[in-house]
Amino acid sequence: MKLSFTLNGEPVAADVAPDELLVEVIRGLGLTGTKQGCGVGVCGVCSVLVGDRPVSSCLYLAACAEGEQVWTAEGLAQAEPALIRAFAEQEGMQCGICTPGQVVTAAALARENPAATDAELRQYQAGTLCRCTGYQTILAAVRAYLDSR
Amino acid sequence: MTAADLTFRSPATLAEALTELAGDEDAIAVGGGTSVALLLKHGLIEPRRLVWLGRVGGLGEIQAGPDGSLAIGATVTLRELAASAPVRRLAPALAEAAGQVGNPRVRAMATVGGALAHADPRQDLPPALLALAATARIAGPAGEREPPLAGFYTGFMETVLAPAELVTQVNVPAGPGRRSVYLRFTPASEGDFPVIGAAAAVLRDAGGLVTGAALALAGAGPVPLLIPAAGELAGRMPAEADIEAVAAAAAAAATAVSDQRGSARYKQAMAAEWTRRALRACLE
Ligand SMILES: Cc1cc2nc3c(=O)[nH]c(=O)nc-3n(C[C@H](O)[C@H](O)[C@H](O)COP(=O)(O)OP(=O)(O)OC[C@H]3O[C@@H](n4cnc5c(N)ncnc54)[C@H](O)[C@@H]3O)c2cc1C
Ligand code: FES
Ligand code: FES
Repeated sequence: MKLSFTLNGEPVAADVAPDELLVEVIRGLGLTGTKQGCGVGVCGVCSVLVGDRPVSSCLYLAACAEGEQVWTAEGLAQAEPALIRAFAEQEGMQCGICTPGQVVTAAALARENPAATDAELRQYQAGTLCRCTGYQTILAAVRAYLDSR
Repeated sequence: MTAADLTFRSPATLAEALTELAGDEDAIAVGGGTSVALLLKHGLIEPRRLVWLGRVGGLGEIQAGPDGSLAIGATVTLRELAASAPVRRLAPALAEAAGQVGNPRVRAMATVGGALAHADPRQDLPPALLALAATARIAGPAGEREPPLAGFYTGFMETVLAPAELVTQVNVPAGPGRRSVYLRFTPASEGDFPVIGAAAAVLRDAGGLVTGAALALAGAGPVPLLIPAAGELAGRMPAEADIEAVAAAAAAAATAVSDQRGSARYKQAMAAEWTRRALRACLE
């Protein structure tokens, strides 16, 4: 079936199967920042924004993105340099595998709850797993990003 | 494995959605798709037609009646429910349950209709709605009906929904002076299903006398479990002994099985403990 949506501000048209997942479509278009990790909605490395909603693209039927504005970490890095700067300055990454998910989640939080308290920020970011940093520098990066807006 | 002739439909009205569902015996509804996508991916369901409700008009509103009742459309997301001012004021247990489901990505997509119909007994929303005496409006080929949620769950992942039927709305009756709460315990990560979740709703008169009380549990059996003994708090100024009686009834009713979240005995003890905590939170 035909699918048209906007990806990082650019219109895209793709031919997708009815049960194809958004992560497959995005990676198929060469944007490999969005990863497939657990594949069951838990780890967050496949996070993208659909409109203002964060979604696990591993559990999001691509067909539902018809007409939507989809943003990946690559697009957000271009559109919101302050976000990437905050992660760089606070050293909010080590191996970098989880970083696209952390970045997308932070962008989602900024849209959903821009005045998030530290406790709310922690709870929101908790759904995006990191096996390296111990989280503190990630939380500091998201805090710095929210405060910079 | 998915059917080779699988199709995806995106109806714009409820009537169209019902027609699409009735048009193929292997059609299923898709709300937020958070469970449907998972089940499809693992080959646990093999539908031939996916009928997505995301573009159906008129199902996405939360309305508070002048009497304090709530009418919640089936495609309202859990994130909208958790953030809704009228829901937080009139039925806090429901907002608390919705706000604790999974992670922000699940809450942004999962819908009230899907959260009810999925019927996994560990889910958070069903006990909150049961304790609040909610009803589910159902539409289908045979017309409309609105059964109380108390009889909605018939077995593990089974409900009274007939093929081609949809939940269109959930109604929470008014409860002047009602206090309600949802508490849960997750032994693994915060985003995991709870080992036990407890929802309580208590109505009291001006003098503090309980005029109605209900308690329901997640994770305590094959279906979300209402504990009828909570109703016996009515007519009393409850003391610890009365709460203890409901906790004992909850432990006795819990038929949870041992799994990675704990042994059956542990879950029974947790059913009692979270019953106490939920009732105390409403009565303090
Ligand atoms: C990572 C992860 C973590 C989770 N953690 C929790 C948790 O902590 N607590 C919890 O309670 N749940 C949890 N869940 C489960 C989640 O609550 C359900 O997946 C979700 O509520 C289903 O809603 P949906 O709208 O996405 O339904 P869908 O996936 O679209 O549908 C689920 C079922 O409901 C049917 N359906 C959908 N809408 C309707 C309707 N209007 N009428 C009739 N039938 C309908 C579908 O046909 C399907 O059978 C988790 C899920 C994931 C993926
Ligand atoms: S890969 Fe999607 S949440 Fe882990
Ligand atoms: S930086 Fe390695 S997993 Fe987060």
